[in-house]
Amino acid sequence: MSQIKTIHNPIGSLERFLDLLLISLIVYMTLKGGTSGACAACKYQRRRCAADCPLAPYFPAEQPKLFQNVHRLFGVRSIVKILENLDELQRPEAMKSIIFQSYVRDRNPVHGCLGITQQLQYMIWVAEEELKAVNSQLQLYRSGQNHPMMIHEIGEKQEDLDLGMGLPVNNNNQGNNTIPFFSPVSETQQQQPHMSYCSDQVNNHDYNPIPDSCKEVLNNHNTSLAWGQNQFPYNHHNYGFINQNEHCSETKNNNSVMAIQSQLVNLQMASNQQEEEVDDQNYDEIHQFLEIIDESQSFTETKEVYASSSGESLKEPIDEIGEKELRRAATCFSLTSVN
Amino acid sequence: MSSSYSNYTNSPCAACKFLRRKCTSDCVFAPYFPPEEPKKFANVHRIFGASNVSKILQEVEPHQREDAVNSLAYEAEARLRDPVYGCVGAISVLQRQVLGLQRELEETNADIMRYASCLGGETTSVYGARRG
Repeated sequence: MSQIKTIHNPIGSLERFLDLLLISLIVYMTLKGGTSGACAACKYQRRRCAADCPLAPYFPAEQPKLFQNVHRLFGVRSIVKILENLDELQRPEAMKSIIFQSYVRDRNPVHGCLGITQQLQYMIWVAEEELKAVNSQLQLYRSGQNHPMMIHEIGEKQEDLDLGMGLPVNNNNQGNNTIPFFSPVSETQQQQPHMSYCSDQVNNHDYNPIPDSCKEVLNNHNTSLAWGQNQFPYNHHNYGFINQNEHCSETKNNNSVMAIQSQLVNLQMASNQQEEEVDDQNYDEIHQFLEIIDESQSFTETKEVYASSSGESLKEPIDEIGEKELRRAATCFSLTSVN
Repeated sequence: MSSSYSNYTNSPCAACKFLRRKCTSDCVFAPYFPPEEPKKFANVHRIFGASNVSKILQEVEPHQREDAVNSLAYEAEARLRDPVYGCVGAISVLQRQVLGLQRELEETNADIMRYASCLGGETTSVYGARRG
């Protein structure tokens, strides 16, 4: 019933482990200065790579594109300034996030990481709505145990649903279901052309900041964004609630059981429509990459540093960042502690 | 006259104010960095630099530039607040939320399956009782 699939399968775990191993190996090699000669940063700038080059540990010569992305977005001076203000233990983590951010910006020059944030916020909203509907159904079942005659009715409805007959659902475009929209998105994005990347770019062995399994989600990220914008018509001055698409309209059926069942059907239809355009791997692959980020934290033994220095500050980006962009996000969900 | 084209008025855009230069009619920053939001450009300049932002704007279509600027402003502010993880930290937090919700959904669905399987027996017994 849930449209968000679990990735807790043995093969997926093994792939994740191998990806983590690969990433760890790359990080280990870069940190230990496993490569000789000029680093990618110094090669790009055509200067001599000193022994104490601050960027050498993070930009191996074999991956010039990594540095090119970072250079295009941040610039060398900005990176060096960021690193200088951090502890030794925090620098690898910071560089990983910078490299990822630059990679995402390279793949999607318009939205960058904000696009992923919006996508996740939408997924949270869908999951919360589904949870509400499912909890309501569960309540009915529980109350049905106290009122045996209801059990028969619930059972009939469940059978209808299982047989795919569904329930009368009002698919009228006049439905006024609204969904919270947490970040501003421009109307112009509805005309945004699909930007996809050729597989040869993705498979370029000179350009591998993240595991292969995560590349496809970023590859699909552009198309999903174009879809996402169609779901979120934008009003620059309205960061609140907007009309949802026609497949998620409210039912007008007064029967509580049917209302809840039809809510579930609507959510499923909405999610199914999304799945037609959004690859299921989007969620799985983003999750895999972020699992790798999380697990690599423990690998580099920066947990305490991260918790002390960033645990609170992480709350700030959500609660306070972007008076215009993230105010609604802060009110709509609460942060969990990172560790 | 649109307020975004502040170079036509006496007030230069936030970018030109910050950079202390003349705001010309073809200033690439003027439409997206109004003088009322000086912090927006200051943050973006501090993290990414004016020339990088200018290059990014020139690489995207004109109708996409506002969104590009907004996303850059968001990322810049996130990086200033959290120099280690920036906006990637927010992504990680959201991802955890999604995982938590997924877990909760699975548990709730499992409960429903349990009730549904009970229902199968109950329904049969109800039918049996009615026929009886």
